[in-house]
Amino acid sequence: MSEDWELAEVLDLLSDEYARSILAATSVEPMSAKELSEQVNASLPTVYRRIEWLQEYELLEERTKVELSGNHHKVYSATLGRFAMDLAEGGYEATIERTSRTEFPGEDAEDTADRFTKMWENL
Amino acid sequence: MIGIAQLSYWLILGLSLGSVLVGGYVGYQAYRGFRRHDSRPMQYLSIGLFLLTAVAFGLSFIGSLLLQQGILPLRFEQPLVILTRFLQFLGVSFIAYSLHKR
Repeated sequence: MSEDWELAEVLDLLSDEYARSILAATSVEPMSAKELSEQVNASLPTVYRRIEWLQEYELLEERTKVELSGNHHKVYSATLGRFAMDLAEGGYEATIERTSRTEFPGEDAEDTADRFTKMWENL
Repeated sequence: MIGIAQLSYWLILGLSLGSVLVGGYVGYQAYRGFRRHDSRPMQYLSIGLFLLTAVAFGLSFIGSLLLQQGILPLRFEQPLVILTRFLQFLGVSFIAYSLHKR
């Protein structure tokens, strides 16, 4: 886990409503930028800016979703599990806990037949 | 008291039915994969699996019943086994072919 972030920067990021909404939405299931744009009610450029910002602090993970139809697209998933701030002895100490998802939630939402086809065709 | 012979008969029947059900399930998923993605390999795979399980078993099961009841003369026993084995061979051939069909 990289800790080369400044508390102020992360607080700044988390104070952004869109950034928080994106994290909230992608903590349930991975979403594409387009889906996020609809979900958080923001334009695509706004969503992309927040995605980049969140990725800078490793709060958001990116993955390419492979579609059988050939329309591969990127989906995002929140990696932020917990953000805590402590005040003690005249200073602040903040910790970020990340959930390292080895697999995206909802990634296996596709059907058995789909997975079977993919598997068999790739043999 | 059930004799050993009768017990094995039911065991064989139960296991065969189990293979048909599980094989049929896999074949059905393959068929759905074929319908959904228009995938040739999945079409051949599903045909192969159905031949291997449901068709081959169904034939031997019905065949042995007919033989037991005396509806089918006993001299048909050998050809029936050959036909069943042929269907099984055809089934695995379909599966092998599906691996190379793109």
